[in-house]
Amino acid sequence: MSLNEVWEASSATPFSPLVSKDNQFAVGFNLLVLAILLTGFFGLNRSFLTFTTLGVPASALIGFGAVFMICAVGVYV
Amino acid sequence: MRFFTASVLGLFVPSLAAASNLSTPTQLTLPSDFKPPQVFKNTNLVRNTNLEKSYVRETINVVVENVDKQPQSDYYIPFPSDVFDRVGGFEVRDKKATDKGRFEVDATEVVSSSSNQYFVVHFPEPLAPKSQITLGISYSILNSLAPRPAVIQQADKQYLTYSFSAYVPSAYQTVTQKTKVKFPSTNVPDYTETSDLKSGADPERKGATYTYGPYETAKLAPGTEYPVTVRYEFTNPVITAHLLERDVEVSHWGGNLATEERYWLRNNGSELANQFSRVEWTFSAYQKAPTSAVREITYPLQPGSVDPYFTDDIGNVSTSKYRPGNGKTAAHLELKPRYPIFGGWNYSFKVGWNNDLGRFLHQIKGADSYVLKVPFLQGPKVAEGIQYERVVVRVVLPEGAHNVRYQTVEGANSNGLPGANHIRASLSSFKTYMDTLGRTTLTLEVDSLTDEARDAQLVVTYDHTLMDALRKPLTIFAGLVSVFFAAWAIGNIDISIKKR
Repeated sequence: MSLNEVWEASSATPFSPLVSKDNQFAVGFNLLVLAILLTGFFGLNRSFLTFTTLGVPASALIGFGAVFMICAVGVYV
Repeated sequence: MRFFTASVLGLFVPSLAAASNLSTPTQLTLPSDFKPPQVFKNTNLVRNTNLEKSYVRETINVVVENVDKQPQSDYYIPFPSDVFDRVGGFEVRDKKATDKGRFEVDATEVVSSSSNQYFVVHFPEPLAPKSQITLGISYSILNSLAPRPAVIQQADKQYLTYSFSAYVPSAYQTVTQKTKVKFPSTNVPDYTETSDLKSGADPERKGATYTYGPYETAKLAPGTEYPVTVRYEFTNPVITAHLLERDVEVSHWGGNLATEERYWLRNNGSELANQFSRVEWTFSAYQKAPTSAVREITYPLQPGSVDPYFTDDIGNVSTSKYRPGNGKTAAHLELKPRYPIFGGWNYSFKVGWNNDLGRFLHQIKGADSYVLKVPFLQGPKVAEGIQYERVVVRVVLPEGAHNVRYQTVEGANSNGLPGANHIRASLSSFKTYMDTLGRTTLTLEVDSLTDEARDAQLVVTYDHTLMDALRKPLTIFAGLVSVFFAAWAIGNIDISIKKR
């Protein structure tokens, strides 16, 4: 099977990104704002409990928020 | 914890960028006194030489007969070694079954006794004794047109010369042959008139087409030459891209296909006799008079292309227009170089744009595999044509892509590219923003291409798992979790001064 036939066979499943180009800024911005808020709350009371309930979610939000934000500003990673 | 360990380990284990169909072109070595075995005879040969563009495009249709007693499958096509490297997009098909695709072709090293190099055409099935096959051979020859006079005034007409042999160079005996030369206009001030090759006028002229022959050459030894030179008007630039680097970058997170092309252009036309006159240039531009300089380059882009840019060594070139099309029709980028490019002048620039990825990338159902289909070459569309001395296409795949395979799409007609075994392919890693391992990069290099390859398509398949996709956010996550943990742990250290 040539690769062009693979292309034709998969025409029913075009790639669609997790977040469309138009929504990247909104998603990235909101995730980052939420992450900054959580970081602030963690700063008020640094305990192991707040590390797991605030620090870990904040890290995850920054992880995804930064990826969407860099895409939103035109550096498509 | 297990998830954290697994994710962190996954971030740093390099993915195996295994690819099974990457190739490096090799040239066959022949003995120094090699002569192609005389097992074929060219019964009838017609060569069409097209000089309408700034390079030579030749198609040869030849009826080949096996005159040996054994079936034969290797047909040799000779070129002088100084021309061989400038032959681009070489392709041979069965003229009566063009949809069966191109024949496999190998290149040989130079044979010292004859200073020839050969393309060896392998027939898919050996040709039985006394049977015939009609071959359609097509190729371009780059940098074979010389401006005469080599120096002209700014508003003068430009003339090019082309020298070739009236007898088509062949490794085999040819019974009858003729050559049709198609000029861009009827203004052909000089051309060689042959004597004693045939009865009647030679060449025969019909409009802008001059026909040398037909000649009865059954008694001539293979390789006999009869030099012919033609000189014709070509008041257009001879645009030559010394190098074109084309990057196609796939972003799954951004849903984007970013393309950037970097050109190093040169005009191989007649040089200016005097200093450049801006007044004369403005005058001729106003009249839209034909010129040997590059005035404007029109660059068709795919529908839906956005964010175009056109920069050179100085910065943004503001003398460009972008016509985006209506989403279905092609977009047009109209580039005006910073200065007109006259004969002998150089200009290097880059252009780039973005597209939505969905039109170029499909996911293979039920698998972590993707198939990407992008143009191999885009480039400007100009009537006079462009020759590319070297093209480097880089397909930058997402980080972690592995099991990369590629193929150029072959149709019933020539796609302007050489065969797959004449394309150098390699895989490497390219590190840029937010990368930990670097993005898997497929690099394809081709020498001697022309804008005939504009419509050629490239298909690339690769595997990319969820773990590969999550590498970027998880790397940032892992870094920040350690910062939060450190903030808590360091904050817990009791550094107060008191009695314990």
